[in-house]
Amino acid sequence: MLFPFIWMILGSFKYNKDVLSVPVRLLPPEWNFSSYRNAFAAGPFGRYYLNSVIVLVFAVIINVVTCTTAGYGLAKFKFKGRDFFFTLILSTLMIPIQTIIVPLFVLISQLNMVNTYAGIILPLSLSGFGVFLMRQFFYGVPDELLEAARIDGAGEFYIFRRISIPISTVALISLTIFHSQYVWKNLLWPLVVATKTDLRTLTVGISLFSGVFFTPYPEQLAMSVSACIPIVILFMFLSKYFIRGTAMTGIKG
Amino acid sequence: MKTKSQSRAGYYFVVPTVILFCVFLIYPMLNSFRLSLYSWNIMEPMQFVAFDNFKTLLQDQEFLSSWGRTLQYTLTSVALLLVISFVFALMLDSRMLKARNMFQAIYFIPVVLVTPAVGVVWKLMFQTTGILNAGIFAPLFGATVPWLESKNVALYSIMMVQLWISAGYYMVMFIAGLQGIPEEYYESAVIDGASWSKRLFAITIPLLKPVFLLVFVTSVLFTFGQFALPYTISQGGPNYSTELLTLFVYRNAFKYLKVGYASTASIFYFLTMIVFSIMQIRLFSDKKR
Repeated sequence: MLFPFIWMILGSFKYNKDVLSVPVRLLPPEWNFSSYRNAFAAGPFGRYYLNSVIVLVFAVIINVVTCTTAGYGLAKFKFKGRDFFFTLILSTLMIPIQTIIVPLFVLISQLNMVNTYAGIILPLSLSGFGVFLMRQFFYGVPDELLEAARIDGAGEFYIFRRISIPISTVALISLTIFHSQYVWKNLLWPLVVATKTDLRTLTVGISLFSGVFFTPYPEQLAMSVSACIPIVILFMFLSKYFIRGTAMTGIKG
Repeated sequence: MKTKSQSRAGYYFVVPTVILFCVFLIYPMLNSFRLSLYSWNIMEPMQFVAFDNFKTLLQDQEFLSSWGRTLQYTLTSVALLLVISFVFALMLDSRMLKARNMFQAIYFIPVVLVTPAVGVVWKLMFQTTGILNAGIFAPLFGATVPWLESKNVALYSIMMVQLWISAGYYMVMFIAGLQGIPEEYYESAVIDGASWSKRLFAITIPLLKPVFLLVFVTSVLFTFGQFALPYTISQGGPNYSTELLTLFVYRNAFKYLKVGYASTASIFYFLTMIVFSIMQIRLFSDKKR
């Protein structure tokens, strides 16, 4: 299962002639330590990386804020139209970004947000599933906990900040990890909406370097490793949350 | 008085998000129906063509084969995924296995990798002198496989990568399901002398029916929307043999600037998946009331 992953890492330390040489050598015959430096120095790859980080940070913050507030509101308050709002948000599970890529691009260009960070970030920061997840979580939080604070005269936003958020750290970490993967891996939307070099993201860069531009194989692999390594490291430390997040989408609920 | 201020707070929490959802998801979806009635290349004014796009699309051989290919890709991948990820889960579920968490992590790593990077790696491995041919097929069978050169093979090559990046994910869902089955069921079955396969078919599989359904639905939706793999590995080629529906839409909208036409194709995407989407929403909202 891990073989392509290991092959990728070893390949990034080979020289160009050794990556696809016959007979096959798994280990680099001579170690090449310059491919990472070349990858980041040659061309705008460093810039792509930075763009991905910017997009990730903002998209995840907006996602966590919207999912948490909406999930909390839907779970813990009674008001007219609540069920309608909930159905509306759930119904967006029917429209993954691939199905609305064309009208979404039309909208973003009407808003003059093509080739802007906002244009890349906003559509990537919404997730109906995330709202649903947080709503389910807050649904399980006993009302008495909030009631007690209300009797003490605390305002709703104070209760949210001081009681509801602190008890939901596990759910928040799972949501953050879940959504970070989605944003960090997404290719289609940045490919469509960011056409200027300065705004391209990592995923767009990787597919361009492998397809359109001539790039030596070790550099291609070094870029791939650089893109994957932050999540793999995060996964090694927080695998519990990755796995729990997945199981949560499953039957455990 | 108190309930009134509380219901106001409810709106404060919910409405901003609802507005964002309406603007960036629901409005574009509705707008795609409108766009499908126009011929439009972004630069010039829109031209109303009624249902011409639908008529053209249904006679467009390229679209029809892309649509059929995506279904074939999805259903074959999903059938294989159900088997593979279930078998992995069974292997790792043996409760004595101390190293289970480690194995689970190893199987999960391909899931967390960046999809275009995965594409780059497999593209190199699929080359004639790549590791699969030069390292395995040539020495063992004396022949190479035209992984990406043959239009009859390329789609299955990409499917292999699809399985590699998703099996671990569904495996985890199955493991969660397996751990929810009470140990006593198996104990009493063992006392009754039921064999391992008997227990598998009489206890495990029937009790996991909801998990199978959930994995089926979510993997159909996920696989049908695959874009990054065919885009990075084969760019839809050779001879369009790996052009999935997402690539067809992308090419028509952003290369040929046929906005209305591409929107119409998206509507077919939406309609093909709608049964599965609704099933998914049902499954999610059924559990845990």
